[in-house]
Parts: sequence; structure tokens; C-alpha cells
Amino acid sequence: MTNPYYAKTDIGPPNFWNMLPQVIKDNYGNWLYHEKVKPGVLKHVGETGDELFTVRVGSPRLLSIETLRWFADIADKYCDGHLRFTSRHNVEFLLADGTKVDALVDELEAAGWPVGGTGKSLKNLIHTQGWIHCHSAATDASGTVKAVMDDLYDYFKKDDLPAKLKISMACCLNMCGAVHCSDIAFVGVHRKIPTIDDNGVANGCEIPNVVASCPTGAIRPNPKAKSVTINEEKCMYCGNCYSVCPSLSIMDPENDGIAIFVGGKVSNTRKGPEFSKLVIPFIPNEPPRWDSLVAAIRNLVEIWVKNAKKGERYGEWIERIGWEKFFEVANLPFTDKHIDDFTFSVPTFRTTTQFKFTDKK
Amino acid sequence: MADFTPEELRAKILEYLGKKDKAKNRDIATALDTNKKEVDKMVNEMAKEGILEFLYLGTSYVKLKDKE
Amino acid sequence: MTEKKRPLLDELKKGKWPSFVTEMEKSAETKPVVNSLLNLLERSFEEKRVHWKHGGIVGVRGYGGGVIGRYCDLPEEYPEIAEFHTIRVNQPSGWFYDSKAIRTLCDVWEKHGSGLTNMHGATGDAILLGTTTPHLQDCFNDLSDAGFDLGGSGSNLRTPSACCGPARCEYACFDTLDLCHNITNSYQDELHRPMWPYKFKIKISGCPNDCTSSIARADLSIIGTWRDSIRVNQEAVAEYVDNGLPIKSAVLDYCPTKCISFDKEKKEMNIDNENCTRCMHCISVMPKALRVGKEKGATLLLGGKATIVQSAFLSWVIKPFIKLDKEDNYAELKEIMEKIWEWWDENAKVRERVGELIYRKGMGEFLKATDLEPVPQMVHHPRTNPYFFWYPEDFAAEKEAKDANKEVAGSEVSE
Ligand code: HEM
Ligand code: HEM
Ligand code: HEM
Ligand code: HEM
Ligand code: HEM
Ligand code: SF4
Ligand code: SF4
Ligand code: SF4
Ligand code: SF4
Repeated sequence: MTNPYYAKTDIGPPNFWNMLPQVIKDNYGNWLYHEKVKPGVLKHVGETGDELFTVRVGSPRLLSIETLRWFADIADKYCDGHLRFTSRHNVEFLLADGTKVDALVDELEAAGWPVGGTGKSLKNLIHTQGWIHCHSAATDASGTVKAVMDDLYDYFKKDDLPAKLKISMACCLNMCGAVHCSDIAFVGVHRKIPTIDDNGVANGCEIPNVVASCPTGAIRPNPKAKSVTINEEKCMYCGNCYSVCPSLSIMDPENDGIAIFVGGKVSNTRKGPEFSKLVIPFIPNEPPRWDSLVAAIRNLVEIWVKNAKKGERYGEWIERIGWEKFFEVANLPFTDKHIDDFTFSVPTFRTTTQFKFTDKK
Repeated sequence: MADFTPEELRAKILEYLGKKDKAKNRDIATALDTNKKEVDKMVNEMAKEGILEFLYLGTSYVKLKDKE
Repeated sequence: MTEKKRPLLDELKKGKWPSFVTEMEKSAETKPVVNSLLNLLERSFEEKRVHWKHGGIVGVRGYGGGVIGRYCDLPEEYPEIAEFHTIRVNQPSGWFYDSKAIRTLCDVWEKHGSGLTNMHGATGDAILLGTTTPHLQDCFNDLSDAGFDLGGSGSNLRTPSACCGPARCEYACFDTLDLCHNITNSYQDELHRPMWPYKFKIKISGCPNDCTSSIARADLSIIGTWRDSIRVNQEAVAEYVDNGLPIKSAVLDYCPTKCISFDKEKKEMNIDNENCTRCMHCISVMPKALRVGKEKGATLLLGGKATIVQSAFLSWVIKPFIKLDKEDNYAELKEIMEKIWEWWDENAKVRERVGELIYRKGMGEFLKATDLEPVPQMVHHPRTNPYFFWYPEDFAAEKEAKDANKEVAGSEVSE
């Protein structure tokens, strides 16, 4: 099937300049300010007075070429053919003529493509591959994301939350996305050590590599079986060894599930970036619609909407009231799992007598 | 550290990879006791010619193309 | 192809959010392989487990990255998707496209693959999801002929990505798109042919809002900043106030350094720029009144990564300010980057990211190897333990200073 032709290599990506609409070329680097027109629509104004409108549409990231061609048609119809994508899987239509915005929004909405996700709204949920296409996934990505976004749909369409809300998901501890720094993050987790297929390890895996892959040093060579042993007390089920050696399977349908972290952010606004912190150690996998996960996230969103001050991101709200209060407000149990015992744990222990009591009731 | 002409280096790399399933460029440079940058350059050239190929097993390696 | 019922996935066609199942079914109309993929996914939903495995060499000639081998673990039952490889296509800077480019990608992918894409993957690349080994070279040939190249994967430079920057953002402190394009093209070898201990990611944001999440997602985070003063348009300030902006609670109180004062009489805002930490809060709330300064450049931060293998790291400051000059082809930045790569390549263990290497070896060694100046901007606070090292060169420097008849302040060490 393959013909012997070898095309040119190392040509690099297409030059972005050729993709830009004229109004951007004219105002490149000379934008003055922007304002929101309505949820999902931004207006940027240049020093020349030129205007650029952006219409943002949420997508499930997994797109068929049929849909992409339709997006191209829409871009031709309204935007002289110009569109872009964002790092959070949104599609943005760029147009200089403000009079076309409403018609564009209407056509997108009519076809089922939600316009929103700007300003103080729920941003599109960034996520990874999951059961569709990755080997180490402890839960599905597209399915969980679809279920959660269906439930929180209105928050994407409006922009009256206390602040922006970024939810992310990763389907295993590799955490491909910037999940560890999101307002709310849910992550696929395993809970049992890998099963060892000695034969497979002996024949297919490089023992030194496997030993080195384990962040906690749980893996030791087992020279007799030409395989390895795993120290149950040290293994924290990251699946890293499985990525290096397929004969150490970490898949466990009964016990795999999801953990939720909150309060992270990545921008430098006000306080600097923050990791998300563990609030719910385990929720079972419940395909197809993951009802417990959806309910847990709705609860987490609603308590923030209800209690945060205007302008407070999730973590800023918690910081103001304190983590101990947060667990009270969220009505979530605090367990041994919540206290860090991994690398760098000690600085997270409270080394002051200042705290709030939450057991008074 | 040994200095090789490009022809020598090419031959040495082929000889080394002939003995191995796969290697990282660093291993090749250490085994040949030569500058890693030169090895990188030569490996890349040979990859473009289709003599070598890369594989990924937790990290990337090179190997002779079609060597099992 | 027998038509199977997929009750679990059908549940995910319901609801208002666009459904990936619907997208897959659109593709399935012309691409029978996608039906197999849907059936396999339904099975994963039933069994609550993945059916993909890794391994096997796939790629195109001359490239060590850009194609990720995917194999189904039930090849007998799902022969159509026994092989279902991913192709990463390097996106244009800032993810700007025109409809022609989109259609080109679609046409190539209709010819050579499943018709499914991810726009875009978390790496930044456009992801073409699912093809077979024999199609790879042809698909690459067609992409290349149409002006597209592959992105990175494996132990190499990963596809750099950038925020939309000056194309659509008044906060941009340098040309993110040009820098991204320039770096990508300058390091094609590093991008396509893995020669390093592990991966290296670069993300570029035009201002501290960091829209590409570079601090969390990149080994090298390049984030725009300025070193002079925020530009204030007092008339526009007054306008915001007249329109009801509660300036104290919405702006002043949130300023982390409390360096803004507001004169109620004159409706004037004064910023103590010496103490401003450029957090962007006030500018983001009052974009019409406030603009970033004029002396613009970037802060370089290094070391960010997700949890595996050591803990998660956020990138930390290694150079508080650097000018990014198109005119000299970003020479200073490139020199620093190349020194970092060289030191990391020289010293790292296999699968050790640069942040982990610095954690193991210490910032001291890193700074020496890269000729970067230690400055207080690199830390939240100085160390609290007394376990620091002295080197022969420290004593040599002291001796030199002494010989030059100068006092060395703050040091008690004698010969
Ligand atoms: C109101 C002014 C703002 C505008 C017009 C704006 C615009 C954007 C755009 C267009 C993106 C997508 C970027 C891309 O794909 O490259 C984005 C993402 C992002 N923005 Fe903003 N932004 C604004 C304010 C902020 C503020 C105040 C913050 C921080 C609190 C922030 C943090 C982020 C982050 C972290 C992302 C990237 C996350 C992601 O989508 O992957 N932005 N913003
Ligand atoms: C996976 C677990 C965690 C890791 C790897 C981790 C790591 C870190 C690191 C590296 C920092 C320094 C950040 C910086 O330099 O800006 C930090 C700061 C901090 N962590 Fe964690 N942490 C974890 C869990 C937690 C938890 C569970 C809490 C609290 C419940 C917590 C609370 C904090 C706080 C309050 C700071 C200070 C933030 C600041 O300096 O601005 N961390 N953590
Ligand atoms: C040994 C460890 C790892 C292996 C074997 C691995 C393997 C993979 C594979 C096979 C994919 C492609 C999934 C697909 O498209 O079919 C992938 C995607 C990705 N990986 Fe990893 N990965 C590893 C660790 C990591 C880590 C630690 C990170 C983050 C720091 C990471 C970041 C990514 C990203 C950003 C993607 C793109 C995901 C997407 O767009 O959905 N990987 N990885
Ligand atoms: C350079 C690092 C440090 C050194 C060499 C050091 C050394 C010492 C020594 C020798 C003592 C014992 C004094 C005695 O027995 O009377 C002491 C006591 C103490 N240190 Fe430090 N220290 C250091 C850093 C710190 C820091 C960073 C803190 C607090 C954050 C701290 C808090 C204390 C306290 C509270 C005591 C009194 C303990 C007691 O009375 O039992 N030290 N330190
Ligand atoms: C080889 C080096 C060291 C030796 C042999 C040593 C020995 C001792 C001894 C014998 C004591 C008990 C004194 C007493 O209670 O009568 C002591 C106390 C102490 N040492 Fe060290 N020490 C060493 C290094 C250090 C260092 C590097 C630090 C600080 C960073 C340190 C901090 C302390 C402190 C804080 C105490 C007081 C403990 C207390 O009050 O209960 N020591 N050390
Ligand atoms: S998070 Fe894990 S399972 Fe999910 S795509 Fe990334 S590596 Fe694969
Ligand atoms: S799952 Fe992770 S912690 Fe457990 S043995 Fe494997 S690498 Fe080590
Ligand atoms: S990082 Fe800053 S310059 Fe870049 S798009 Fe975001 S707000 Fe604008
Ligand atoms: S940028 Fe941040 S620190 Fe600087 S004045 Fe504005 S709010 Fe204060």
C-alpha cells in the first residue's frame, strides 16, 4: 500500500500569519481593550478603533471531520473563513462585522453548539483520552465529561458566577492535562497494586527500567522468576510501572474510580498558582452517566456559588474560610487519605495553634 | 574522548546497534567514548535516511530499522 | 458489519452538551471502523475497563515522534481497530486556522484515517485519532505536501504552544505567536528526533494570566511581563467609577500588595509600581483604564510537570526578566535554552525531567551550569537550614578579593 515516496521532513507548522483575519493583521499588537458583549461573545477594540468580535463555542474535543467541515462552512459564511481553537477545546469564530454576530450565534445554537464560556462562567472542561484511546485510564474521560457538562450546562451559558470556574479531568495519575491546578479536578485512580505476570515481565520488560519507573521505590527485582516484586506498603497505584511494562496490569474494574481535588489555579492573578487539593478520595465508576460523580461535583459547585464573595476563585474562597470550615460546609468526611504522606508532606502539616473548631455542632 | 570522522562514527554506530536491541544516544556516546552531540547529529542523519528508527518504551531509543 | 445496539453510549447522546458519541456516529456513517470503535467503547462501559495497550514501533521515515502506536487488546474480536494509531499534527501558533486549512486536514484524514480528531490534544497538537500502520507514511506525505508537519512525542522537544497574544489580546507583552513559530522551526531536529532523557515542553503566555497554563504544564514557561509602570488612563478610571464599579472592594482590596490608592475627590487611581507584583488583577477588572507597562519582556520559569515520577512541580523563576527580540532572532533566550538542555542531557537519569534533576542536584549546580545569576526573585524565602555547601571557587574568589585588598562582607570563613 505504501508508495516509496518520502515527503519533505521538518517543514514545521503552517505559518500562523497566513491564517489571521485582516482585522487582526491590521491591529496586531495594537489592541486597546476588550469588553464582553454577552456570554460567549467578546469584543476587542484596537487603537485604530477597529473592532474584532469573538464568538466562543464549547466542543467535546472529539470532533468528526464532518463537523470540522461544517465549522469551516460557518467560518466562510460569517468570518471570511477565519476561526481558531483554544487550549480548552473551544472553537472561536473571529469576525470584524458586529452586525453578523447575532445571526452567527443563532445558527450555532440551533445546530446544538453552545455559545458561552467567557468571563465569570464555567469554562469548557479540559480532559484526556480515557477508554476511547489510552491504555492506562482508570475511568473514561469523554463519558464523565459529557455527564458533568450536561448537568452544569447553564453555568457555561451564563457568566454570573463568583469568578471563573475551571474544571478538568484526567483519566489516570499521569494527569496529562493541567488537572493538578484546577478549581475542581477529577482524576481516575486505581486502588490496588498491579498484578504481576512473571512470564510477561521476563519476556517483555526491561527490569532495570521497571524498577526505576516506580516513584516510591516499591519495585524490586525478583531474579528467580526473572521478574519483579512489588512492595504493597509502598505502592500508591500510580500505574507508572504499567506504562513501562504492560505485564504489570493495574486495571481493576471493580476498584478503579475517581478522586476529586479542588482549589487549584494556574494564573498569577492576585495570589500565585496553586495545586488542587484532595477533597473526595474515591467515587466508583458508574457508566454511562456517573451519577455519584455528577452529584458530588454539583454539590461542590453550588456551595461555592452560595458562599464565595464576588471575585473569589474556588481556592480563594476556601483559603478565606479555612480548609477545616470547607469540609464542614461541604459536609464531606475528612479521613487519613486527606493528610499527605507523599514527598514534601511535612510542610502541609499545620504548625500553628491557629485554626477553627468545626466539631462543636 | 575519541574523535571520529563522520564515516568512522557512522560505522561505529552501526556496529554498536548491530549488537543491541536498542540504545539511547547517550549509551552510544558512552560506549564509543565520544561526544554525544556528534552522535545525536549522526543518528538523526541516519534516521532521515531510513537506516535507523526510533521506539518508545517509557523513554525513546534508537535501533536499526527492521532489526528484531 | 453487524449493527450492534449500544444502550450505554446511547445514554450519552442525551443532554444539552455536544456529545462525543454523536460525533463518532457521524464519522461511522462513512467510516465503518468507527462502528468498531463504538462497539469497543460500549464494551469498556460495560466492563469498566480500557481495551487499549501500548507498544510496537510505528512512525514515519526519519521521525521518532508524532505518531503514537495504539493497539486494541482484543484484536480477534475487533480486527478493524486492532491497530488504531494517533497522529499528532503541529498546530499553527495560537491555534489560528482558516477554512481552507481545516478542509485540507479533513481531506487528508478522510483519505487515510478514521475521520475522528481531537481539536486539540492537551499537548497543543491537532490529533488525528486512529489509522493503521500502512497508512502512516502516506498520510504524512499528504500532510507534508499540504504544508503540515508532525508534532512531538517521546523523549524530545514537545510541540511548543502559545496563547493568542498580540493577535487578539491587549495584555500581550511580546509576540507569543512569532516566538512559538520561531522556536518550533529552529528546533525541528529536537522536535522530531528524540535524543534526550525524557520529554521537554515549552509553553508561551503573553502575560501573567498565563492562558496556556504554562506554569503547570511546561518544563519551560515563558510568561510575558513588564518592568516599568502600569499605564493609567484617569478619565477611563473615572468612567468606571461613575458607572458604578465598586473600586475599593473590586480592585483595591484584591490587590495582593495593597499598592493602589484611590483619590475619591479627583477619581484618580495611583499605583505604587515599585511594589506592584504585576498580578494582572486590576488590569483584568479595568481593561479600558489600565494597560500593561511599556518596557516589556518575559519571565522565564523552569521545572513544571505533573505528578509522575516525583511530585507535581510548578515551574519556578530562573530569570526574572528577559527581552524577547525578534530582531536578534531571540538569541538570548535560545542561548539559555540550549544551556539548559545541555546540562539536563548531560546529567539526567532516564525519564528524569529537568525539574526533578534540579531537585536532585540543587539549584546551585543548575545556575552554575547555565550561567544564570542567583537572585531573590527565584525563591519565596531563603533557606531555613544551615546545610549549604562551599566550593573551592568560593575560597578562590575570597582570596582574590582579599588580595585586591577588599573586605568580603558577610563572610567569616578564613583560610
Ligand atoms: C478579561 C480578560 C481576559 C480575556 C479576554 C481572556 C481570554 C482568554 C482566552 C482567549 C483564552 C484562551 C487562550 C488560548 O487558547 O490561548 C483564555 C484562557 C485562559 N485564561 Fe484568560 N482571558 C482573560 C482574563 C483572564 C484572567 C483574569 C485570568 C486569570 C485569573 C485568565 C486565565 C486564563 C487561563 C489560566 C487560561 C488558560 C486555561 C486554558 O484555557 O487552558 N484569563 N483566556
Ligand atoms: C499532592 C499533594 C500535594 C503536593 C504535591 C503539594 C505540593 C506543594 C508545593 C510544591 C507547594 C509549594 C508551592 C509553591 O511554591 O508555590 C505547596 C504549597 C502549599 N500547599 Fe501543597 N501540596 C499538596 C497537597 C496539599 C494539601 C492537601 C494542602 C492542604 C490541604 C496543601 C496546602 C498547601 C498550601 C497552603 C501551600 C502554600 C501555598 C503558597 O505558598 O502560596 N497542599 N504544596
Ligand atoms: C510513562 C508514562 C507515560 C506514558 C506511557 C504516556 C503515554 C501516553 C499516550 C500513549 C498518550 C496518547 C493517548 C492517545 O492519544 O492515544 C499520551 C498522551 C498524553 N500524555 Fe502521556 N504518557 C505518560 C506520561 C505522561 C505524563 C507524566 C504527562 C504529563 C506531564 C503526559 C502528558 C500527556 C499529554 C499532555 C498527552 C496528550 C493527551 C491528550 O491530548 O489527551 N504523559 N500519553
Ligand atoms: C539555621 C537554622 C537553625 C539553627 C542552626 C537552629 C538552632 C537551634 C538551636 C541550637 C536551638 C537550641 C537552643 C537551646 O537549646 O536553647 C534552637 C532552638 C529553637 N529554634 Fe532553632 N535553629 C534554626 C532555625 C530555626 C527556625 C527556622 C525556627 C522557627 C521557625 C527555629 C525555632 C526554634 C525554636 C522555637 C527554638 C526553641 C526550642 C526550645 O526552646 O526548645 N529555629 N534552634
Ligand atoms: C554532627 C553534628 C552535630 C552533633 C554532634 C550534635 C550534637 C548535639 C548534642 C550532643 C546535643 C544535645 C545537647 C544537650 O542537650 O546537652 C544537640 C542538641 C541540639 N542540636 Fe545538635 N549536633 C549536631 C548538629 C546539629 C545541627 C546541624 C543542628 C541544627 C540544624 C543541630 C541542632 C541542635 C538542636 C536544635 C539541639 C537542641 C535540642 C534540644 O534542645 O532538645 N545540631 N546536638
Ligand atoms: S491521563 Fe493517563 S489515561 Fe488519560 S490520556 Fe493521559 S496518560 Fe492516558
Ligand atoms: S503502580 Fe506506581 S507505585 Fe505501584 S509499583 Fe507501579 S510504579 Fe510503583
Ligand atoms: S496569557 Fe495574557 S496575553 Fe496571552 S491571551 Fe492570556 S491574557 Fe492575553
Ligand atoms: S497588577 Fe496586581 S499587584 Fe499590581 S497594582 Fe494591579 S492588583 Fe496590585
